[in-house]
Amino acid sequence: MPASLPEPDVATPPDSEPPPTQSAAAARRGLPFWANPRFGLFAVLVVLVLVFSSLRPSFLNTYLTLVPMQADLSVFAVVGLAQLCVLSLGHMNLAVPRMAAISAFAMGWSYQHLNLPLWPGMVVGLVVGTAVGAAAGWIIVTTGANSFVVTLALDFALVGLVSLLYSHVGDGVAFSVHPAGMDTLRIDTFSNYCMGNVCGPPVPLIVPIALVAVIAVGLLFRVSRVGREMLMTGSNLKAAQLSGIPTSRRIIQAHAMSGLLSALAGFLLAINSGAFSADIGNSFLLPSFLSPVLGGTLLAGGAVSVLGTVLGAALTEVIRTGLNLLNFSVQALNIYIGLVLVAALSLDRLRHVIAERRGSRP
Amino acid sequence: MTTATGNAGLPPDFRRARLRELVRTPEFTLALIAVVGFTALASTTHGNLLHGDTLRSVFQYLAVPILVGLAQMAVLGVGQMNLSVGVLTGFCSMIAAWLMVRAGLPAGVAVVAAVLVGAAVGAVNGLVVVLTRINGFIVTLATMTIIDGLRYGVHGTSTFQGYSPDLVRLGQGSILGVPNPFLVAVIVAVLVALFFRRAALGRQLLATGGNPLAARLSGISNDRSIVLAHLLSGLLAGIAGVVEVALSGSVNATIGDDLLLPSFAAPIIGGVALVGGAVSVAGTCLAALIIRLVDVAQAQYSIDPSWVSLIVGAVVLGAVLLTQLRTRHKGTGT
Amino acid sequence: MTGDMTEDTSPGTRFVAEKLVKTFPGVRALDEASLALEPGRVHALLGENGAGKSTLIKIVTGVYQPDGGRLLVSDGAGGLTPVRFARPHDAQRAGIGVVHQERNLIPAFSVAENIALQAVSTRFGFVDRPAMRALARRCLDQLDVHLDVDRPVGSLSVAQMQLVEIAKSLAVDSTVLLLDEPTASLTGDEADRLFTVVRRLRDQGHSVVLVSHKLEEVFAVADTVTVLRDGRSVAEAKPLADYSRDQIVSLMVGRAHADLTLQTRRVERQATAALELREVSTESGHRDVSLHVQPGEILGLYGLVGAGRSELIRAVLGLDRITSGTLSVHGEPARIRSVGDALHRYRIGYVTENRKEEGIFLDQPITRNVAVTVWRRIARAGLVRESDERSLVETYRERLGMRIADPRQLAGQLSGGNQQKVSLAKWLAADCDILVIDEPTVGIDVRTKAAFHELILALADTGLAILLISSDLPEMVTLADRIDVMNDYRVVGELDNDHDYRATSQAVINLIHSGAAV
Repeated sequence: MPASLPEPDVATPPDSEPPPTQSAAAARRGLPFWANPRFGLFAVLVVLVLVFSSLRPSFLNTYLTLVPMQADLSVFAVVGLAQLCVLSLGHMNLAVPRMAAISAFAMGWSYQHLNLPLWPGMVVGLVVGTAVGAAAGWIIVTTGANSFVVTLALDFALVGLVSLLYSHVGDGVAFSVHPAGMDTLRIDTFSNYCMGNVCGPPVPLIVPIALVAVIAVGLLFRVSRVGREMLMTGSNLKAAQLSGIPTSRRIIQAHAMSGLLSALAGFLLAINSGAFSADIGNSFLLPSFLSPVLGGTLLAGGAVSVLGTVLGAALTEVIRTGLNLLNFSVQALNIYIGLVLVAALSLDRLRHVIAERRGSRP
Repeated sequence: MTTATGNAGLPPDFRRARLRELVRTPEFTLALIAVVGFTALASTTHGNLLHGDTLRSVFQYLAVPILVGLAQMAVLGVGQMNLSVGVLTGFCSMIAAWLMVRAGLPAGVAVVAAVLVGAAVGAVNGLVVVLTRINGFIVTLATMTIIDGLRYGVHGTSTFQGYSPDLVRLGQGSILGVPNPFLVAVIVAVLVALFFRRAALGRQLLATGGNPLAARLSGISNDRSIVLAHLLSGLLAGIAGVVEVALSGSVNATIGDDLLLPSFAAPIIGGVALVGGAVSVAGTCLAALIIRLVDVAQAQYSIDPSWVSLIVGAVVLGAVLLTQLRTRHKGTGT
Repeated sequence: MTGDMTEDTSPGTRFVAEKLVKTFPGVRALDEASLALEPGRVHALLGENGAGKSTLIKIVTGVYQPDGGRLLVSDGAGGLTPVRFARPHDAQRAGIGVVHQERNLIPAFSVAENIALQAVSTRFGFVDRPAMRALARRCLDQLDVHLDVDRPVGSLSVAQMQLVEIAKSLAVDSTVLLLDEPTASLTGDEADRLFTVVRRLRDQGHSVVLVSHKLEEVFAVADTVTVLRDGRSVAEAKPLADYSRDQIVSLMVGRAHADLTLQTRRVERQATAALELREVSTESGHRDVSLHVQPGEILGLYGLVGAGRSELIRAVLGLDRITSGTLSVHGEPARIRSVGDALHRYRIGYVTENRKEEGIFLDQPITRNVAVTVWRRIARAGLVRESDERSLVETYRERLGMRIADPRQLAGQLSGGNQQKVSLAKWLAADCDILVIDEPTVGIDVRTKAAFHELILALADTGLAILLISSDLPEMVTLADRIDVMNDYRVVGELDNDHDYRATSQAVINLIHSGAAV
């Protein structure tokens, strides 16, 4: 993944011309494998899994723990990606929760009132999410306003709109209709499907959906022109514009992608929880930042890490599940997740400082 | 040599120019909106709004939004954000109640202690930002999560009530018809305004927000400014917390859940830029009042409360569009 | 600041930097450079980019600490005391004020508060506004500058801000004032006024250090000169009157300024213009601008800062609106609505003036910096292969002589000259026919500069139409085939360049000052 690259060497005096080979070598030297945030994340993940499974062997119980964990992870990885798309620009999307909520409403409504089957209904919701995201991007582009302010206000407005929609057009707070296939998608894993004696792995059916999103976003930022141009826009807006990149279009597209992925996350959560309801998305804001930031994506824009985001989501999920098994209350969980975030970021910072010192002062 | 090069000279009629400037300030627009809104609300509800109890409740419940708005404004002034404002308010409420109910401390001590806890948490936010050099948004996102947990740690999901009747009487009372919580908010607002406008420390905060490099070269410690701004933010959230305790008579850990977004809405509508360097206490308070009026309108017309956030969100989006149009109209002059 | 030793150097010396050494990884930025300042003098500090000027200034103002050598400040009794500046504030307290290239002002604060920022007087922790205003007025009066002290600094012009910065140094009783490229963004008139202030400060007994690339203005105001080359002082506090312009230049360059033997290039003047503007007016204020550039030709666009040259290019690229007149590319009328249009439909590239802010992506690898303009072309089904990008970089690495270790290196790690080559490479990669090059050698050392000039000439020889914007008159005379002179958003004249520096520069300057339209 094109991830958190080292910051430009600030110690170089502006009027001196350091031999370029030297600083390149320094940059390489400054980034040993352990300075890669994904490596650290992976190590912490392994340690935590070992700790939890030794304390509570049920942590490795397939149906009690692993299957629900995978289902949750699918949701929150996608939530993280929704935020990641705009972080690539150096923007934020505080409306991820409500973009998910309004899309879930659209899905529920189309099941209830249009009698759409599962997948076409999902598409309706995805379209709504994309449109709302694009609208946010459009407002940011035309006004030049800070994305934080725009999406905050949008979230505010959508909070009201969603609950009005549910109470006036919907059935109160949730849709009661379950389109065909929804429950299968929720309950079944691939182990329910056998060919002869060979059954699939105990992986929930929604995991591939999230996996497709992960791979698509990964490809987008790694090899596609559009994704790279988004990163360039985030790296230096003016230079991007003067290099012929249609920056406004890229900004709108990134926000639209964010809306699309929010909608997908809303769909996955609705499947997991068994209902298209008004509170979908409520729990999305924090994880949406948590996963990419833990995974090494910078808020400044210009660099993203899709794999890191998935690992970040996995880490929070492991902590959540593990502490749950150890009978910590839901609220206490938050304390630890917050502490992990602070610790992870501080370590990352420390790692950078060490790497910089090694690199720039040989 | 003079600056009289044509492009920089003062307009001929100095006083009129100043007046025009005043009329053009966002504060003036906000005041106008508030007055028009209030009048419209009062007349369409057949004066119901001017009725003693209704009027009092309008201002009683304005105190906390003003205080959390100012708490957010304090950090925006140095170009930071504080996502923990809402949960910190709730946490301080729970601490104050716990100290009275469980620890049996007198109300006065509990109130002061809770405010100090707020300030201390704010200082920790600031110190973590300064020491780790991590973006303030992320740091306070993390502390928000932690404090959210701690908030429930005080008393789980249960409610504290029946604490110090004196404090509650004070919280629900009024002086010369002005509700006490509102009075507290106004006094705090005046002090905050004074701090940012006149106090050397306050100016240093804004200098840091306006141009950190220039501030540093002028011997101002940007680190100190950032810590101080977060401390002030925590302190104001603490005050909001104890006002809530005094006003409502019973508190539980959900307090603060719905305060984060309003804490941003008030300063942003009030014309405070996210980049730092300038604050507007009057704008923040007026914006809080406008939001409160929307709330009141909802209650008066018995509209679905969801309309409130829809309208406030739309108003902020509108304000963003308008400000942008205005600056574009003014050109690159500023 | 500590120190109890007293030195005897020449009496009246106010500040001495002695044999300063500063090394950065791989570079000895200062190698025993010295500087001595006397009161009542304007002291020019000269040197090519990379000679160590900025490092020296940063040490003198306490931003960097030297690895060797020492700083001495007059103790007021005729002696000198060694000092250590651990941070900028220490230097200020020792009376050394600096007016930086970057504006060190706080936009939302008033003029008065900005001036008094370091010297703010407080009463019980509160700012004493009347005292602040009085101080600001006093400092501005000292400069004979009249400004409303209550105006926010954000509403001032660049020139006015600079004066506020000077006043700010006076507020803390600076006796040494460093002006770092003070006229870089001023118009000629504004610069003249600034120098009036500088002379006034000198007459009041201040030591003024002037760092400038413009030798004309150095000779106009400076009394003494220190020249740095490769981190050493090759002339130290010498009277400027002892030198001619050419002598100074050869001191800076290290060899006699061997004028290139330039022959007039042959350009097919009758061919259809690659780019032609006919009576173009723009929303940014240009009126009736006409110019044309042929394939293979270098058209110079000369003018002072603020003449509207870069703004004209913005209009050509579709960033600003053209309100009337016609723009044609290869004889066909063109409607350019965005840079993308200019690039993909009309093959116009723009090598920007401000490299770091507009030209390159510092935190991105070189591959992306070069390939950014051609992704559309090299992408297959919307996907870009890194190997394609790499081979692209390899092509231009050879062609432009880029010194890079690895194509995946970040652009921010390159030197200024190599960064400029990267930003040029992306336009060459895009296969442009028309290249606008804006101030190509600002901030680039003298050797790289010569290489760049050869490169630009070579590009023109391959048939590119080049529109060269430069404020560096020698560069203009070296490169351009024709020179259009702009002033106040109009083209005021055009001349064929016969590469005779004296005659051509004279003609150009006359055009600017006569203001006569073509």
